[in-house]
Amino acid sequence: MLDLPEIYTENIHRWLPELLYYSLTTLKIAFFSFLLAVVFGVLIALCRISHKRVIRTLAVCSIEVARGLPIVVVLYIVYFVPPQLFPGLDWSWFDDFTGAVLGLGIHGGAILAEVFRSGIEALHKGQREAALSLGMTPAKAMTHIILPQATRIVLPPVGNYAIGLLKDTSLCTLIGVNEIMNGAKSIAFSDYQPMAVFVLVAAIYFVMSYPLSLLVRAMERRMRVAH
Amino acid sequence: MSFFEILEKNGWYFFTTLLSGWPATLMVAAGALVFALVFGLIIALMRISTWKLVRWPSTAYVEFFRGTPALVQLFVIYFGFPDWGYQPTPIQAAVIGLGMNGAAYISEIYRAGIESIHRGQTEAALSLGMTPASAMQHIILPQAIRTMLPPMTNFAIVLLKDTAIVFAVGVLEVMALARQLVTETLTSAPIYLMAGAMYLCVTIPMARIAARLERQRQAWH
Repeated sequence: MLDLPEIYTENIHRWLPELLYYSLTTLKIAFFSFLLAVVFGVLIALCRISHKRVIRTLAVCSIEVARGLPIVVVLYIVYFVPPQLFPGLDWSWFDDFTGAVLGLGIHGGAILAEVFRSGIEALHKGQREAALSLGMTPAKAMTHIILPQATRIVLPPVGNYAIGLLKDTSLCTLIGVNEIMNGAKSIAFSDYQPMAVFVLVAAIYFVMSYPLSLLVRAMERRMRVAH
Repeated sequence: MSFFEILEKNGWYFFTTLLSGWPATLMVAAGALVFALVFGLIIALMRISTWKLVRWPSTAYVEFFRGTPALVQLFVIYFGFPDWGYQPTPIQAAVIGLGMNGAAYISEIYRAGIESIHRGQTEAALSLGMTPASAMQHIILPQAIRTMLPPMTNFAIVLLKDTAIVFAVGVLEVMALARQLVTETLTSAPIYLMAGAMYLCVTIPMARIAARLERQRQAWH
């Protein structure tokens, strides 16, 4: 039988600093791909509610495809496919970290686009009409009337997405990014302690994600009270 | 060689090889779904219990499994369990891992479904002399299924997509074979795109079904 407490007291002073160092990469991936996903999400959501049919269809297709694919497949396609389709270009800047951020960002953009759209559509149409009838341009009505109100509605689902994203960064190990899972694998197999190391990694993920999920739940409660 | 030349020359070989990974993918997805449905119901019933000692461990279970990545859970089971004297096969590890992970999510679906039924229903059933268990089985759950069906279908889609990570513990499913093909032929673009297209052929129709179920449910109310 495995004596986990003893293993931890013996090894934690070596494992924890190393794993925390790797978890910085995890946080970096999560941060940058979150920013990218918000940008993509707003763009796709605006295309999705466009008056031009072609633009709308393109947006719907991109959302359906990105949401229908497993994230691992998105990561593999984004990281491995473009350099092979266009071998003439210079791909030296395209490392695994960039691929991971781009892949998670594109996938997240499709998810957030639907969140943003439902936030915008949750607002009464009269709001936009009133703004337009006061002489605002459609763009101005969007930035001054619709978006500020929609932001409040979408905050909880965006928070839930961020929690999912933090956990999904673990998949980046599969395309070779040196994040916490990669570090854990090398420690686990060099020290022959897979159980202890992977449980520790799970605990680290939990410590990172649980405060976020408490925050989201508090926001959801406040939203329920407000309505 | 260009992308299309490769596809013309090896396309059929890629297609048949990737197709041979689907039985494993579907088996893991189905096994994990059954595991999650059964185990999730137990967790959900524990969570709505009035007895704190039963409620607390199930809440901890749900929080922990939803707060950590499925990949870590798979690694704990596949690489960690041998430390405890049990070496699961890759398929077993995948089914247990995704099943335990799924149980945490599905228990929330059950709970929301059960709570959507008015409390008066339980009280009425109890006052008619039913035991709490038979009130749950005959009165609450049959009605709750309607509410639970659309999110369950969505969950099945998520589960199917999650099986794409189980190659990391050695299951020979679609992504594992895709990676093997890439090492074998040194071309990646057509293979990964084809694997992606195959996933879409399954997930998009499933999403359509889920959306239809949701519309029907709303029409009922």
